[in-house]
Amino acid sequence: MRSSVKRPPTPDAEEEEQDREPTLQEIINIKLIESGEKERLKELLRERLVECGWKDEMKALCRAFARKRGRNNVTVDDLVHVITPKGRGSIHS
Amino acid sequence: MSSSPKSSHKNHRSHFPLQKSLFQQNAAFPHSSPVHTTSNKTANSSYGKPISASNNFAGDFNHPCPHLLELRSKLGPNPFRNLQDCLEVRPLGRVSVRRELGQEVVQCGACKASSPRLFACVACAAVSCQLHATSHAAQADDNTGCSSPSSFHAIAVDVDRVELFCCVCKDQVYDSGFDAAVVLAQTAASSAIGSIHCPPPPVPAENLRKRRRVEYKPWTPDPNERALIVEKSSPLPSRPSQLGEADAELPWGLRGLNNLGNTCFMNSVLQALLHTPPLRNYFLSDKHNRYFCQQRNNVISTRSHDSNNHSNKNAARLCLACDLDAMFSAVFSGDRTPYSPAKFLYSWWQHASNLASYEQQDAHEFFISMLDGIHEKLQKDKRKPQIQSSGDCCIAHRVFSGILRSDVMCTACGFTSTTYDPCIDISLDLETNVGGPAKLTSAKSNHSCNGVPDSKNACQSTGVSTLMGCLDRFTRPERLGSDQKFYCQQCQVRQESLKQMSIRKLPLVSCFHIKRFEHSHIKKMSKKVDRFLQFPFSLDMSPYLSSSILRSRFGNRIFPFDGDESDSPNELSSEFELFAVITHSGKLDAGHYVTYLRLSNQWYKCDDAWITQVNDNIVRAAQGYMIFYVQKMLYYKASERQVAL
Repeated sequence: MRSSVKRPPTPDAEEEEQDREPTLQEIINIKLIESGEKERLKELLRERLVECGWKDEMKALCRAFARKRGRNNVTVDDLVHVITPKGRGSIHS
Repeated sequence: MSSSPKSSHKNHRSHFPLQKSLFQQNAAFPHSSPVHTTSNKTANSSYGKPISASNNFAGDFNHPCPHLLELRSKLGPNPFRNLQDCLEVRPLGRVSVRRELGQEVVQCGACKASSPRLFACVACAAVSCQLHATSHAAQADDNTGCSSPSSFHAIAVDVDRVELFCCVCKDQVYDSGFDAAVVLAQTAASSAIGSIHCPPPPVPAENLRKRRRVEYKPWTPDPNERALIVEKSSPLPSRPSQLGEADAELPWGLRGLNNLGNTCFMNSVLQALLHTPPLRNYFLSDKHNRYFCQQRNNVISTRSHDSNNHSNKNAARLCLACDLDAMFSAVFSGDRTPYSPAKFLYSWWQHASNLASYEQQDAHEFFISMLDGIHEKLQKDKRKPQIQSSGDCCIAHRVFSGILRSDVMCTACGFTSTTYDPCIDISLDLETNVGGPAKLTSAKSNHSCNGVPDSKNACQSTGVSTLMGCLDRFTRPERLGSDQKFYCQQCQVRQESLKQMSIRKLPLVSCFHIKRFEHSHIKKMSKKVDRFLQFPFSLDMSPYLSSSILRSRFGNRIFPFDGDESDSPNELSSEFELFAVITHSGKLDAGHYVTYLRLSNQWYKCDDAWITQVNDNIVRAAQGYMIFYVQKMLYYKASERQVAL
């Protein structure tokens, strides 16, 4: 007998969705994305971060970490975990 | 795979159109056929290297993780060739996975998270956040029903960045076919009209030249040549020792230059040029023989019969290269008494008559003017092609000329326009507001900044300007102001744009001019910027090459970027060594130029007629105005002529 093709399970979160109203935050997020403004904001943020040298600093941190650990012993996850606190901490307000 | 959206949830997509176009076109897609999970992967793998034993990390391109390998082996050699159909290019050239209209909001299928990274499974297009990606890979079965993670669901694509991710190894993986498809999508978008890139200046000629590079062979004279040498030349004293033993240890070519009346601007540049290796070699090996040249000039001047006879004669006799040749002979003669470059000054005044005075001048302006003078005369003589970029026109361009690439990208549609311009030097702005987020203190701030790769950033956060920082700024994308809107060919209107500079071809000798003199037309006032600039003794220019800049524009791709950028000599020869620094001290209108020369790894301070040996540290602390670097490795090309004159 041939086993039927197994699909990934349909996320049953969908049933919950119908009951719950989206929060204000979610609505705003959706509107931002739909209108394309979120992408523009992200782009602006990227520019500012590059200009003030933040990106270079994060890069340097990643390099230092990768050098210390060994190039082949580092995953993207590790890097993210290492630089996230410093990255968030170095931005004012 | 059902992906029909429920009407009330049209904004929340956890599945993508990705799956439809990417894999159904691929005949090897296994939904219909039984899956082979045998271990004959090695037979399939034309990917060479054995899988590394450790599965802790997904490895690099040469050692792809086992899951990626399995995917490749099952889906054929180029499973991502249809990837472009699933991608869309956003403004500014960013690629992301395409979303249908009305379905832009993407969330994890399991937990509805929408940040920070979402991954779309390559096999079934299910979207998961990083936490749930692993469980997705684990629970999705292959057809044999065993519970081991199926390789299909192990690989996913980051929906925002379009990068491959292995959910089992929990790390980024790379596939050249994938990256090739991404780059293709990006370049297709950035140049919708016609060709992919504007054709760069003489590529065919350069390619030809590249192929004809020869191995370096040391030369020794054969008996005939040796006889010729003995007969036609007189040996220089083996040790120039006019003033005694101490003097005998000084290197050749060190000779002071007398100040003829505020001519330190000229002396400082001349000292640097007298010790510019390719230039020095050219003149000392008699490539421009001043006697021969003057003889020819006399012939030319006697020939001209028109009414401007007199000025033609003068023009014909004027040759800055001849005067430079005379200077080289004098300076390298072994005579240590200071030399007066009066003839040269006179000739230069004739060439640049607007600057002919005993007033103080700008050394950089003199430098440009002098090279231009050499170029004009030599070019007129030889009637060579005017292609400055290839350096064929004259020795000045052969030594100093490089090519800059300028990309202007429309912020609305991403269309990029590229131009190439030759340059003799690079003028850099001194950053005024260095020191980013001040909270980040660097432990490296105490160390010497030279030579340590990420010390540049350490220095920046403590507020020191560095040459590499300036170069970074030079090659950074810059948003042109709204008053400088650029006409976009694709949009057909003027749009705000981003401009980015990069170096297409490096010159033999790089001269960096630091803009320390600010002239404000508005205020009718000029001022000098005294800010200290730290510069390295060894410089690697590869991050500023067009190939590197463009590669970084495409994100984390391992796609070998060829096309017009595959200058392997450039990659090999991007290492430079510092050999001369011209410094300025004092005020804008009353200052003094001094040159520091590096000969046999020893530094000498050349202050007009006075030359003294100095320590490294003095040079490091000096206020650099023009900084000269020479390529560490020189490549020889096959000579086109039988006899090298």
